[in-house]
Amino acid sequence: MTTTAARAEVPPRPTFAQKVMALPSRAAPFFSGPVGLAIKIFLLALVNALAVWAAIVLADEGKWAAVAVLAVTTFLIDLAYLTRRALPLKFLIPGTVLMIAFQVVPILYTVNVAFTNYSTGHILSKDQAIVGIKGNSLAPPPDGKSYLMAPARDADGALVLLLVDEDTGNTFVGTTEELRPIERSSVEVDDLGIVSAEGYTLVKGPELVTLDRELTAYTVPTSGDAAIRPEGLDTAVELAPTLRYQPARDQFTRIADGVVFTDNEKGSFTARSGEELEPGWKTNIGFANFDKILHNPLVRDPFLRVFVWTFVFAFLAVLISFVLGLLLAITLDKPDMHFLRTYRVLLILPYAIPGFLSLLVWQGLLNDDFGVVNKLLHIDVPWLFDSNWAKVSVILVSVWLTSPYFFLISLGALQSIPTELKEAARVDGGGPWQVFRKVTLPLLLIVVGPLLIASFAFNFNNFGNIYFLTGGGPQSSDQTTAGDTDILISYTYKIAFASGKGQDYGLASAIALIIFFIVATISSLAFWRTNALENIR
Amino acid sequence: MSRRTAFGALVVVVMLGMVAAAVPASGAVSGTVATSGSLRIWTDKDRRADIERIATAWGSRRGVTVEVVEKNFGDIRDQLKTVAPATAPDVIIGAHDWTGQLAADGLVLPLSPKKATLKQFPKYALDAFSYGTAVKRLYGSPVALENVGLVVNTRLATVPKTWASLQKQALAFKKKSPDNLAIAVPQAPAGDAYHMYPFFSGLGGFVFARNKAGNLNPRVIGVANPVFLKNAPMIDAWDRLGLINSKVNYDTAKNAFLKGQAAFWVTGPWEADTLRSSGLSFRIVQVPKIKFRSVPFLGVQGFMVTRFANSHGVATLAKDLVASYIMLPASQRALAAANGRFPANTVAGKQVNNPVLAQFGRAGVGGVPMPNIPQMSSVWEELGGAWLKATNGTSTAARPTFATAARNIRNKIG
Repeated sequence: MTTTAARAEVPPRPTFAQKVMALPSRAAPFFSGPVGLAIKIFLLALVNALAVWAAIVLADEGKWAAVAVLAVTTFLIDLAYLTRRALPLKFLIPGTVLMIAFQVVPILYTVNVAFTNYSTGHILSKDQAIVGIKGNSLAPPPDGKSYLMAPARDADGALVLLLVDEDTGNTFVGTTEELRPIERSSVEVDDLGIVSAEGYTLVKGPELVTLDRELTAYTVPTSGDAAIRPEGLDTAVELAPTLRYQPARDQFTRIADGVVFTDNEKGSFTARSGEELEPGWKTNIGFANFDKILHNPLVRDPFLRVFVWTFVFAFLAVLISFVLGLLLAITLDKPDMHFLRTYRVLLILPYAIPGFLSLLVWQGLLNDDFGVVNKLLHIDVPWLFDSNWAKVSVILVSVWLTSPYFFLISLGALQSIPTELKEAARVDGGGPWQVFRKVTLPLLLIVVGPLLIASFAFNFNNFGNIYFLTGGGPQSSDQTTAGDTDILISYTYKIAFASGKGQDYGLASAIALIIFFIVATISSLAFWRTNALENIR
Repeated sequence: MSRRTAFGALVVVVMLGMVAAAVPASGAVSGTVATSGSLRIWTDKDRRADIERIATAWGSRRGVTVEVVEKNFGDIRDQLKTVAPATAPDVIIGAHDWTGQLAADGLVLPLSPKKATLKQFPKYALDAFSYGTAVKRLYGSPVALENVGLVVNTRLATVPKTWASLQKQALAFKKKSPDNLAIAVPQAPAGDAYHMYPFFSGLGGFVFARNKAGNLNPRVIGVANPVFLKNAPMIDAWDRLGLINSKVNYDTAKNAFLKGQAAFWVTGPWEADTLRSSGLSFRIVQVPKIKFRSVPFLGVQGFMVTRFANSHGVATLAKDLVASYIMLPASQRALAAANGRFPANTVAGKQVNNPVLAQFGRAGVGGVPMPNIPQMSSVWEELGGAWLKATNGTSTAARPTFATAARNIRNKIG
């Protein structure tokens, strides 16, 4: 456009940095042309292709409501990008979609799970559970036989089972109607099983593979309820049901003693005695998980202690990290210092290493008999084995991990504070401390305040720090399952994933919801405070 | 307007093209329909190659294609609960102590191998994979056995026949240098009830009692049974003398033994290669009887058929592979060797000519299979934690510590 004019002026050669900085403004015209259009069409087509693929999968599973929602949303997205109207929407959509996918959906899912019994023994649907109970409760009758087996076709082409009694060697043909003895000499058997039988053709190779569903359902009735069922492709076993399901009454009856197992509305068939059939199923159980939190001594007894320590831990970890980070930032905020870059890089290093690695390394360093810390300093501090020292260790390591973050933030914030303000304060006769206290810190807090709150909320749920460093230990003197350094989230893990029958996602979600409300309350109070701070300005 | 229409038409055409390209490529769509004739197996990394070889040999005999998917061992159990049916495995490799959880979840199918096959397996290995509150059924085919033993450095100590001899030698060795450990057994940082089990059973401890039917009863917990509590003061003495130090973690214990800073090490066959290549002269025995036989926990690994095999239409095929083919001596030998373990099949076991594995096997005689009922998840941390606290050198009395652990376990089981 104005290239000729620009050439006439002969501007100074742009530096590399200037070139890089100019890229976005040069990119805009480039991407508004046909290239941009092509990219737009490609991306939209990709979105639509994904939607069609998702729709096919959803339709296949019969989730029609989801298909409808998907179709409408995809159409609206296409509309937004293909029309010239609704410019703000074009920028909002990607963010909104990602927010729904990664924030809203998990929260809704957690809320949903909190009201169910989703846990070990309760993960199937009721129909699947009934099938499972029927399968698990088949048992060999007192003198139950087991057979070598080979699927075969009789002269009419019907599927039969050739059977050789494992104990006696007697030979039979099993059909869906009866078990019929046949001449022993007519069946040839070797090490690998039945080889051939007169009058029957053995089913082999690819055909055998296609018979799976038919064989799974195949039963050869023997006496009473007992029947011979194929178990694999060369074995058949006589099994009899020990429970009988009555669909009309929705209950199981034990054949041996007539005990009735009814739906207990909590996802299991149970007898009066409390005996429970496995598997159970996933179902809505209302507020039972919240009730458990209030009344189960496992959760209730240590709750207050754990809650207070969670608060103390999160508060101290953030406060000390911030103070240390700020001190370092003030110290290194001197452009004329030697080796400035080296110092900064060294300070940021802990932040650059994955947290759990540092935590595992620290766990080794702090071991009180074999750890480097005690050996180098010639001291004997029980860093991880004494309850108070373990608390100190957890906070110290958190400070090591997070102060670089606050160093970075503070350094940026300090450099953004106009020097005129500080100079003005100095001219007015303020000492360095006064200038810091009255000018620098308030301005700094406006920037850093929300980050402090976010960091507090993060540390409140800092599962990794506790789990990898102390595992919540040492065991507490109040004789509960919560260790002395357990915070709410690590304790939740213990009671939801290392107790009962293994995993209790329902209970875990219920506790997670409660923690969510605690953190939300604290955060909103704190944000309200920082808003007040901003108004002062 | 006409430009717009043309543009719109272009878009539609391109999009349809994309869709046409995407659908066949996705593969997941075809996965939702029945995949008869193809079997999916989840395995860990160690055994992947051998499982692939064995399953493919079986598959070509049966005319079935086998897809082997590699997972972290622990993920196999956890992901089975959440996996989408279309991509779910038909067969998994697993540890016997998952049996209770997976069966209670309804995720695995009961198996009925031939009687002749069952006779080739030790009863405890089959028991280890059996579960049921009402009807006890077999849910897995055992493949490999493992247990810890006491590894003795025979240059530094003589193989102890009695507990007193072990204690005397260990403490005398420890006195020689401040860097020495008496008995190197890992516990730090979170406790290790598995490695500590010989000492626990030697003092009369057990986890769950068995009822008349032979099933483990989660209501009767033996962590603080009267006999064990009576013997518990011995732990206080060990702690005072430094015989067992809970600040030792896995690497500390291993390095101490390999560097000659410990004459006794409690470990299992997963270290067999390390031991063989260490150049040390060693022997592996059972921990000598304390008050009772100091037997270790027994671990059994094996294969299970998942409920998805039914919906994929490959249940009989999966059972044929797991309950028949994999239980054959030849398959057993290859699979156990792939992982450096002793095979569960006794016929295959007789053909194993590996003195280290054989010594570990003898160290496990009379051992207790890790309880396979789901309630065991309430036990590990508490039992390990009690040992951790009782042997950390701070003269915490063992008796109340184990009593607390037992109470916590009871609360956790609920």
